[in-house]
Amino acid sequence: MTHTELLEKLQAKHRITESKEDLGVLNAAVGAGAFKSVIKTLKEELGYTQLNFVTAIDWPANNNIEVIYRLYNYDTNSDAVIRVKLDRTKPEIATISDIFSTANWHERETAEMFGITFLGHPDPNRLILPDGVIAPLRKDYKDAAMIPLPKA
Amino acid sequence: MTIKAPFELEKISSDEYILNMGPQHPSTHGVLRIILKLDGETVRDIYPDIGYIHSSVEKICENRKYEMITPFTDRLDYLSAVNYNLAYVMAVEKLLGVQVPERAEYMRVMLAELNRIMSHLMWFAAYGMDMGALTPIIYAFREREEIIDIMEGMTGGRMIHHALRIGGFKYDLQKDFMERLKKFLSHIDDRVDEYEALLINNIIFTARTKGMGILPKDMAINYGVTGPSLRGSDCAYDLRRNAPYSIYPKFDFKVCTGRNGDTWDRSKVRMDEIRESARILRQAMDGIPSGDIMAKVPRIIKPAPGEYYSKVECARGEFGAYIVSDGTEKPYRIKFRSPSFSNLSVIREITIGTKIADVIAIMGSLDLVIPEIDR
Amino acid sequence: MDLLKDILYNTDKPWNQFYGWAHAGWANWGWPPFILDIIFQLCFAVIIAVVLILNALWIIYYDRKIAALFQIRKGPNRVGPLGLFQTIADTVKLLIKEDINPKAVDLAVFFLAPVFIFIPTFMVMLVIPFGRGLIPADLNIGILYVMAITGLSVIGILMAGWGSNSKYSLIGGLRSAVQLVSYEIPMMLVILTIVMMSGTLSMGGIVQAQAGYKWFWLPQIVGFILFLIAGNAEVNRAPFDLPEAESELVAGFNTEYSAMKFAFFYLAEYVNLFITSAIAATLFLGGWEGPLLPPVVWFFIKTYFVVTLLMWIRWTFPRLRVDHLMEFSWKYLIPIALLNMVVTAFVIKLV
Repeated sequence: MTHTELLEKLQAKHRITESKEDLGVLNAAVGAGAFKSVIKTLKEELGYTQLNFVTAIDWPANNNIEVIYRLYNYDTNSDAVIRVKLDRTKPEIATISDIFSTANWHERETAEMFGITFLGHPDPNRLILPDGVIAPLRKDYKDAAMIPLPKA
Repeated sequence: MTIKAPFELEKISSDEYILNMGPQHPSTHGVLRIILKLDGETVRDIYPDIGYIHSSVEKICENRKYEMITPFTDRLDYLSAVNYNLAYVMAVEKLLGVQVPERAEYMRVMLAELNRIMSHLMWFAAYGMDMGALTPIIYAFREREEIIDIMEGMTGGRMIHHALRIGGFKYDLQKDFMERLKKFLSHIDDRVDEYEALLINNIIFTARTKGMGILPKDMAINYGVTGPSLRGSDCAYDLRRNAPYSIYPKFDFKVCTGRNGDTWDRSKVRMDEIRESARILRQAMDGIPSGDIMAKVPRIIKPAPGEYYSKVECARGEFGAYIVSDGTEKPYRIKFRSPSFSNLSVIREITIGTKIADVIAIMGSLDLVIPEIDR
Repeated sequence: MDLLKDILYNTDKPWNQFYGWAHAGWANWGWPPFILDIIFQLCFAVIIAVVLILNALWIIYYDRKIAALFQIRKGPNRVGPLGLFQTIADTVKLLIKEDINPKAVDLAVFFLAPVFIFIPTFMVMLVIPFGRGLIPADLNIGILYVMAITGLSVIGILMAGWGSNSKYSLIGGLRSAVQLVSYEIPMMLVILTIVMMSGTLSMGGIVQAQAGYKWFWLPQIVGFILFLIAGNAEVNRAPFDLPEAESELVAGFNTEYSAMKFAFFYLAEYVNLFITSAIAATLFLGGWEGPLLPPVVWFFIKTYFVVTLLMWIRWTFPRLRVDHLMEFSWKYLIPIALLNMVVTAFVIKLV
């Protein structure tokens, strides 16, 4: 299935705000309301049965945080990336751990690293970081232990 | 750290108790904590607690130049450093649009496969210890030592070999690399047979592992389990075959699979993979061309804005490096997708109802390396 | 020369002479004769203790060398010639180490556990026939006494598990109790078979019954194998080392122990190994009987043969799981042992 076919199939059901083909991979941006059904469609109808990872990218310049879901199709050996833009001041997004079990841990990691709330998550505890460290992977994170790299 | 769900005290009946396995425990292979709710010896619930050696590599990488990041990747997983380097290096090369010379690709594959054998041998050694057999560790280390010596001659490092550069290699293979490799390959198959006779086909071992910790294929995929742990569940998914990178399409090798997805199948797949890796190495030895080992890479690495995800089949499964570039000489964001992270997350599904000893057996069969889980 | 030969080959003859002579002399002093017997017993106790400790030191070294042989390495070779003093150095290290008592332990139980483990091993030595007439006390219920006393050591392990107040220790202690109860039964059945064949419970008598090289291992090959398995399980060594299962329970019942208290557990394990082998040699391999060499040498050769067998097993097999362990005993060992006993009884009756 080529990138355009896949996109057409998705667009028949959902509203894809923007999409591009990035090195042969579908890279689609979806609204926070619709992304869950897009991922469900990808998994259940289009055969994207593996969730590679969930992560996020902080864009302070645009004042948003992008949550990235990367899916993989075993039959066609193709990837699909779903990006959801969230408001940086109050990032909230629905969990997909009911669709992909692996999302449970990946979402917990993303949540503590970026301060995102995954609504409806079955186990919203911290996974890796100790209590008190808040959103270290955001670009504006400051810590006394962080020493700037000396100029060579 | 407070653990709320699912270990609230009121949920523990008077028959049950909590056993804190780790973070300092002989069988957690590093600093992994596993909280067990037990009834006698039967596991009623299990809750892994990770993050004890979180080293914040992703954040550090955001403040380093591209060429400075490569050494960080091989420290993520002390057992498959070359594969980790490879994933990162390939991602940067893709972002830069660099074509690596063929000889360098061959060298990469050879080192990666040696690294895979080394990692599987280490797994075999440690798994023997987990199962209470104290001899396999020494046997496996005999072969592992040979590989380490070869790698040391090639890269200078014994465990965290940092040989790969963006664009190829800095140094060519050392002079006696081929001889030593040939010597090693001449007996590895016999040794693997010996190991299978010693441990994998041992009657006590099979009694403890067959039908234990069955991981069904769909559950494995749902949990993002990759590598030998997934292939043990009869899913012939190997990135070297399914999403070929480097020059793997040139080689003839079998994707080893198990049938039932139990602990024994996962073990057997690893032993078979050693043989297949040796086959790849033999083919690579015959086919390696002479020529350049370094592509033309700009002195200052400044990829165009964009993103790329490159994944390799490391000894534990799919390792991916996801790089977002904003056009500067430092990556905007790097995400390392580590296999053990996803592999460990499935443990709750497959250990409940087993015994304490089985938790160790199942955990060992997933081949966890803690630094890469925590990153 | 004859005396030396007698001492070596026929120890009870010179001993009886000496005993009679000593008692005759003692009677001249006019003191009651039981005091002299007590003095003799005390001397025996000291000799046994010394032999026990020296033997334990040697057997630890031997185990490490055997392990090294199986594991293609050299083993201890630094302290003393061929590393012979390694265990002594280790013991001295354990002696001078700080004795740590964790806060939460039940001190009395915690302290007594190593004692309770070590004393039975010491007591069992009383009835082991080391050579002709070289048996500290040939009790007429010798083998029964052995079973009763070795059964005691589990109390020590349970005490260690309970007193340590650690979950790992407790699980280890309970596993040990379960294991001992299950494996005592097949062992008992096998011993019963031997008793049926020899017609005596005395250890010396059992050796006598095998005189003329009619050793019991051949007619009782099933029993011999069962005894080795059950005996290995009784001494808690791999593949039956579940009570200390280091990969599961850290160190099982001795997790919280350190220094000399730990050394007692360690020594007791090896002494138990020796005793199990010695009993196996007595019951199945004709005890001290053998050509040319003095009986005591033959006894040690046979014992160390069994010790080596058990070490071989230890360094080869992975560990059993606790429910497999139970299954193995109750579903296989005990029925086979029972069958073996019944068949033996019929054969004895018919022949």
